[in-house]
Amino acid sequence: MATQSMVLLTILSEAVLEDTLIDEITELGATGYTITDARGRGAHGLRSGKWSASGNIRIEVIGDEDLCQRIAQRLKENYDRDYGLLMFTSRVDLLN
Amino acid sequence: MSFEPVVLFFLLGVLAGLLRSDLKIPGAIYEALSIYILLAIGLKGGVELAKYPLGELVGDGIVIVLVGALIPLLAFPILRYLGRMSRPDAASIAAHYGSVSVVTFSVAITLLGHEMLDYEGYLIVFLVLLEMPALVIGVILARYGRGEVRWAKLLHEVFFGKSIYLLAGGLVIGYVAGPVGIKPLDHLFFDLFKGVLALFLLEMGLVASSRIAALREYGAFLAGFAVVMPLISASLGTLTGWFLGFSVGGTFLLATLFASASYIAAPAAMRIAVPEANPALSIGASLGMTFPFNIFLGIPIYLWMARFIHASGG
Repeated sequence: MATQSMVLLTILSEAVLEDTLIDEITELGATGYTITDARGRGAHGLRSGKWSASGNIRIEVIGDEDLCQRIAQRLKENYDRDYGLLMFTSRVDLLN
Repeated sequence: MSFEPVVLFFLLGVLAGLLRSDLKIPGAIYEALSIYILLAIGLKGGVELAKYPLGELVGDGIVIVLVGALIPLLAFPILRYLGRMSRPDAASIAAHYGSVSVVTFSVAITLLGHEMLDYEGYLIVFLVLLEMPALVIGVILARYGRGEVRWAKLLHEVFFGKSIYLLAGGLVIGYVAGPVGIKPLDHLFFDLFKGVLALFLLEMGLVASSRIAALREYGAFLAGFAVVMPLISASLGTLTGWFLGFSVGGTFLLATLFASASYIAAPAAMRIAVPEANPALSIGASLGMTFPFNIFLGIPIYLWMARFIHASGG
């Protein structure tokens, strides 16, 4: 089966930022994304997700290296200082 | 002292949290309960509002909003200079205390039902009107003279965040429908209200129990502030209600409104507009301290204050 090598960018951040982050991501050229509700613990303490103000989200974007870097760069500049934000990329093989 | 049994559900939630019970209310249910409460309170206010000529309420409304706007202006210097907090933290907490809590207000209304006291029903409108000035003042205090403000985002959050949107929407629908038109919805929105409030308080207790520990880290000053500030605000509310010639019930409700601190709308708005403020401080104080203080001790005290000022002042 022919596969296409792409980069998966995963962004973990605060639920309150959902709209803002999506605006940034689409503005930078992402054509699609997937959002899931998340909870966990990290540098910003326990994010229980018990109510809207304490929830996290996970945004996944698949794109080329350049797009993922641009998104990561922008989010780092604008949100890393004040908000809970964790980003990482992984190589994925797109199957369809 | 007057006591409303529904607050015991809050205690049940707090205990479940502290005792590490596996009790958990699913997020979707929490959302549904909060939508119900916001709509029910809005509808109730709208129906009441329909009984009054709107024009006559404008004067009272302006006085209440202006006095309400004093609360964050009073809280800010206390936090900044007495508590030596950073400017964004002090401003964000001040905004939370200037803003209001729908659930605290709901508990106050159920207590009035319990005590069979009448009140000026249109006071519910101020759940909507007091929210905005406090948040805007909070942002101005945080930004005073430096940094840009994302006003468009903030205002969008304030007006179209679910709490104000549903409250205001309920008000309009209740106002348009009037007491007769709303009858078919009575069973769902008014008769079941207390039961739903009980479930919501159970969840609030669970959430609050996880915040009490966070508050402990920030010391005695903030805990003291979270108790003293509502008493100051309630005194302001009692005097204003009395000055405007409200009934005992109305004076008490206004005092409760002023005394309550937001933990739903304000945290979301402040997180967007003043991101460098630490949300653990403001939510810890408003939800971990002030909310339980208000529903257990504050509300009976404010009712006593309203009765006292009416008995002694005429």
